[in-house]
Amino acid sequence: MVEPLIKVQDLSMQFLRKAGLFGRGGQRVRALNGLSLHVRAGETLGVVGESGCGKSTLARCVLRLLQPTAGSIRFDDVDLLALNDEDMRRMRRRMQLVLQNPFSSLNPRMNGFELVAEPLRAHRSMPRKEMRDLVVDLLTEVGLSAEFLSRHPHQLSGGQAQRIALARALALNPDLIILDEPTSALDVSVQAQIINLLVRLQRQRGLTYLFITHDLSVVQHISDRIAVMYLGKIVEETSSEDIFANPRHPYTQALLSSTPSPDPAAKRQRIILPGTVPSAANPPPGCAFHTRCPQVMEMCRARIPHSRLIAEGHRVSCHLYEASA
Amino acid sequence: MTPILTIENLQVEFSTPFGAVHAIRGIDFSLARGDILGLVGETGCGKSVTGRSIMRLLDENAKVSAGRILFDGMDLLQLTDTEMRRIRGNRIAMIFQDPATSLNPLFTIGEQIKDVLRAHRGSGRGGAKALAIELLADVGLPDPAQMMSVYPHQLSGGQQQRAMIALSLAAEPDVIIADEPTTALDVTIQAQILDLLRRLQRERSISVIFITHDLGIVAETCQQVVVLYAGRVAEKGAVETILARPQHPYTRGLLAALPRPGSRGNDLRVIRGNVPSGFERIVGCAFAPRCDYVMDICRAQNPAFSVIDSTHHSACHLHEMPANG
Repeated sequence: MVEPLIKVQDLSMQFLRKAGLFGRGGQRVRALNGLSLHVRAGETLGVVGESGCGKSTLARCVLRLLQPTAGSIRFDDVDLLALNDEDMRRMRRRMQLVLQNPFSSLNPRMNGFELVAEPLRAHRSMPRKEMRDLVVDLLTEVGLSAEFLSRHPHQLSGGQAQRIALARALALNPDLIILDEPTSALDVSVQAQIINLLVRLQRQRGLTYLFITHDLSVVQHISDRIAVMYLGKIVEETSSEDIFANPRHPYTQALLSSTPSPDPAAKRQRIILPGTVPSAANPPPGCAFHTRCPQVMEMCRARIPHSRLIAEGHRVSCHLYEASA
Repeated sequence: MTPILTIENLQVEFSTPFGAVHAIRGIDFSLARGDILGLVGETGCGKSVTGRSIMRLLDENAKVSAGRILFDGMDLLQLTDTEMRRIRGNRIAMIFQDPATSLNPLFTIGEQIKDVLRAHRGSGRGGAKALAIELLADVGLPDPAQMMSVYPHQLSGGQQQRAMIALSLAAEPDVIIADEPTTALDVTIQAQILDLLRRLQRERSISVIFITHDLGIVAETCQQVVVLYAGRVAEKGAVETILARPQHPYTRGLLAALPRPGSRGNDLRVIRGNVPSGFERIVGCAFAPRCDYVMDICRAQNPAFSVIDSTHHSACHLHEMPANG
C-alpha cells in the first residue's frame, strides 16, 4: 500500500473570537473538529461543503498558513507541524494554492511575466532569458500566448486571470495543488475550459489535487474520491461514482437532492433540510447534523457518531450505520 | 389570455468614458400571468439590465434607446416618475441577490413590512401588524411574532431572503422580478427558497421573472425560459422543450458545458472564445465568432426568430436552411 501524499489526522482548529465592543464574544469557534482525510499521489480528492463548514480553513491548515490547534498533517511522510519556518517555506514549493477570485489573489500592479516569475524568483535564481522562456512555456501550458506577458490583471477576463493563477502555481513544479473554489466565479462556458485544463494538467504532470468546492456537479466531474464536510468534520467519504449512486449520510443525500439539475427528466424526490447550519462557535451536542437531520434518532442528540467503513473505500459518520454494523 | 408583461424590442445603451456599450440590442418576450419565467445567460448578456429596465432603476449613465415595456395596458417607459413610483414596489416588486443590502439595517423587519402595508394597502396600525406576522409566517420564518422586532443583521442569509420576499409580497404585486435571489445562498438554503417560490406561485399565482445563470434552477423552478446572448434573445419557449431539445447552438453549448453525473473521464464541451465586450459593433449574429456551425450569412445578417413550434422560438440562420431537418 502506497503511503498517501497527504495524511491529515484528527485535525482541529479553534479560533478565539475576541470580545467585541459590548463585551460579547470571547468564544471559541471550532472551525475544524477532529477531521481526518488522506490524498494519494496523483489523485483528486474533492472536499464539498457549505459555507462555514471549515473547508477553506482546512486548506490553510494543510499549507500551515494557520497553525492547527491539534492533530497531525503529514505530507510525503513528513510531519508538517514539526517543521520550523524555514523548512516549511521550502516544503511549500511543493504545495500550491489557487483561490476562487484571481483578481483578488493576483497583484494588480504586476504584468503576466512578473506574476508567473514571482514564485520562481523567490525560490530559484536564473538568468533573465531563461526565466522568460520558462514563463512563456508555463503560459503556453495553461493555454495563453506570449502576448499575455505584458498584460495586467485588469486587462484579463476571469478565465484568463485564472489561467495566470494556475501558471503561477505550476511555476515551482509542485506535487500538490489545493484548489479552493477555482471555478465558482466563472461563467459556465469558461468554467468548462478551466476544468478541462485542470484535468489535462493533472494527467501530464501527475499532479495531486485537493479540490475544495460547494458545487457537487463540478466536484464529481474532477474528483476520484469525494469527502463531504459538515461543521468541521468529514461526514462521508467515498468514490466519485459512489457518492451519486449510493449516498449514505442523510446530509449527503440532502445535498445531492438540493443541487438543481438541468435535466428535465430528472424530477426527483426533493429533500428540503429545515433551518441553517448551526454556528461553529456553539456546535450542537452529539451529531452536529442532528438539528437538521430528517432521520434523527434519540442517540444522535447525545452521542457523537464515529467514522465507520461501511464498504470498500466508503466511510460514513452516522448512527444509522452503527446499529446495523 | 393576455400576458401580464410584454417587452418589445428593448434596447439599452450605457455611456462610458470608453464609448457607448450596447448592453441590450433588441429583446422581445412576454410573461404570462401566473408563470415563472427564467431569464438566463452568462455575465454581461443583459439579464439584470432587462430587470432594472422594467423597474426603471437603471443607472444614470444608461439610456433606453428603443422599445416598449407593456404592463396592464401602459407602456412603463412612457410613465412620469410619479406614475412609475406608484407601479414600483406596489405592482411590480424586485428581489435582489444580496438581501442584506436591500433591507434597511436601521429598522426591524416588522417596521419595514408594516411600512409597506400602510403605504400600499392603507392598513391601520393593528391590521398592519397582524398582516405582517401573517406574511412572515407565510414565507416560512420561524416564530414570526418574534421576528417582527428583529433587525436584518440578526438573521441568516436565507432568513434575510425570506424577509425580503415577505417585504416584496406585502404590497401584493402582480409581478416580482427576482434577480439571482439564491446565488449568494448555500445549496440547502437555496432549495428552501426555491421551494418557497414554487409554493407562493401555486398559492398566490404570482408572476415572476427569475433572473439566473443556472440552468438547473430554471429546470426546477420555471415554466418558460428566455436565453440571452450579448443583449439579444437566442432562444425562448417552454422550459421542458428547450432543455430537452435545445435548437440554438448557444443553448446547446451551454447545456453541454455543464458537468453532470457520469461526465467524469471525458472533456467537457467548451464554447470557444469569450463573450463580446459590448463595445464592438456587432454585425450579423453575435454568437457567430464562437459558433461551431457558423455560415457566411451569420457574419452578415442578424438572424430572425424561427418558429420551432408554437411555444418555441430560436434566432439562428440554421433553422432557415431547407436541408436542416
